[in-house]
Amino acid sequence: MGDGFKIKLRRRADRKCVHGCGRSHIAPESSPSPSPSPSPSPSPSALSQQSCWANLPRELLLDIIHRIEVSQTLWPLRRDVVACAAVCRSWRETTKEVVRTPEQCGLLTFPISLKQPGPRDSLIQCFIKRERATSIYRLYLGLSPALSGDASKLLLAARKVRRVTNTDILISLAADDFSRASDTYIGKLRSNFLGTKLIIYDSQPPCDHAIQSNGRSHRKVYSKQQLSCRGPAGNYKVATISYELNVLRTRGPRRMMCTMHSIPISAIQEGGTAPTPSTFGTCFDEPFSPLLVSKGKNLVKFGFGSPAEPFESVHDTRDPLILKNKAPRWHEQLQCWCLNFKGRVTVASVKNFQLVAAVEAHQNVPAAEQEKVILQFGKIGKDIFTMDYCYPLSAFQAFAICLSSFDTKPACE
Amino acid sequence: MSSSLEKNMLILRSSDGEEFIVPEVVAVMSKAIKNMVEDECASNTIPVPNVDANILAMVIEFCKKHDESEAEAASDLKTFDSEFVNRGQEALYDLITAANFRDVKELLDALCQNVAEMIKGKSVHHIRIQFLGYQLFEILTSNFIWNIWCDRDFD
Repeated sequence: MGDGFKIKLRRRADRKCVHGCGRSHIAPESSPSPSPSPSPSPSPSALSQQSCWANLPRELLLDIIHRIEVSQTLWPLRRDVVACAAVCRSWRETTKEVVRTPEQCGLLTFPISLKQPGPRDSLIQCFIKRERATSIYRLYLGLSPALSGDASKLLLAARKVRRVTNTDILISLAADDFSRASDTYIGKLRSNFLGTKLIIYDSQPPCDHAIQSNGRSHRKVYSKQQLSCRGPAGNYKVATISYELNVLRTRGPRRMMCTMHSIPISAIQEGGTAPTPSTFGTCFDEPFSPLLVSKGKNLVKFGFGSPAEPFESVHDTRDPLILKNKAPRWHEQLQCWCLNFKGRVTVASVKNFQLVAAVEAHQNVPAAEQEKVILQFGKIGKDIFTMDYCYPLSAFQAFAICLSSFDTKPACE
Repeated sequence: MSSSLEKNMLILRSSDGEEFIVPEVVAVMSKAIKNMVEDECASNTIPVPNVDANILAMVIEFCKKHDESEAEAASDLKTFDSEFVNRGQEALYDLITAANFRDVKELLDALCQNVAEMIKGKSVHHIRIQFLGYQLFEILTSNFIWNIWCDRDFD
């Protein structure tokens, strides 16, 4: 609480400074940003020879930023790419043109990458550290703390807050700011009293397929909503996770089911796509990503499907994606339940799980997609867990699902 | 003068009127000049507008080196390139636009790579001063979040 308050105070002070120091060319913005830091001031020579570069032909800027993008693939070097996008509007647009989504390139670049689906053919490997004293969970990019060291890239942090009838886990981009009023707040996980049913909420509204496929033309209609959504963070239901009650109290792995309201089953059907937000839905200086516009293949079907097509088939593609545990096998020699985590999980725990899509025969999902582990989570040491995810889940959704496993569930074990 | 010109030599005339006698093989490293020569729309003297003598001399130096050293070890050429592009801001900018306008691929590659290296590891503040001068400071949204995301000041 204290932290959130401090940050608010600081930002107010910053804004004052922005208006106060008399730079008339600064336009007021809806989202407050800290003022320029006391970085080394430019030398007179730099000032005199300013701005010939400002007229750099666009194709050259594109070439230069592309060179930075392909060489700086690992964090923290990848900061350079974000830096390019922070320079000015034209650099930002150029950078966004160069940077592909995690689904396309398997890399996380901007914070919004955390809400975009992961790669289709590989897993993004992360680990979670638990801080018991403060009930804070932090998600880092990398194989393990031992391998990536202190330089590990922090992706998300979450803090558990117990209330009278339920538990909230607040998820933030910042390591220690969990204020819901903060710009860094991106969603939460709320569980019922028993911890058997949890709901993931996103602070921003779902990005609708239909909006994407129609591109700019429909943007105006939604701009009002975009304007308003940066007020207090919203609560948009992303997924419902339910753990099966273990009435008989037999020992064994937990059974869970995740209904992803924000991802249609069509996402894993042939040629399907998962919703990919291009911004935090905040601002007008963010260009609408051109990559998304061409992607709504399955939507074409909606629009132009023959009228003879039975209604259900249209309905099917809109059904939410449901994830379920991959069933572990009972290992006779070891006398335990086993799942193959391919070396990513080393400690037996009731929390370990692998999720695959739960599909029905009529849903036409390729067999390979049905077998594919979309999210796996497991223990590798005291208070250290790995989390590997891929398409169609985003890092945010994957993290929230893993957090559900931390919530104690006496009724399920 | 042109009558006494050896075969396979071209004259390039810079924007400020200076003339350079250059072997054709070197001159045609510029795609733009190559096209002109192939179309036979060029007389012996080829005007190179927008490029002054100073910059044109540098471009010719670069092309000559690359033409001569085709047989040489690639690493030597690399060293030459990196030394060649190591210049002041203004010359660098003039070179990059000249290389772009005249379409000299090797030079453009070396220059763009050099600029990319200049940007790597720099703060946004530094990049703005270096590439945009000091007059431009839009405050862009999401920089606040990016500061936290990158653990660095982007404003």
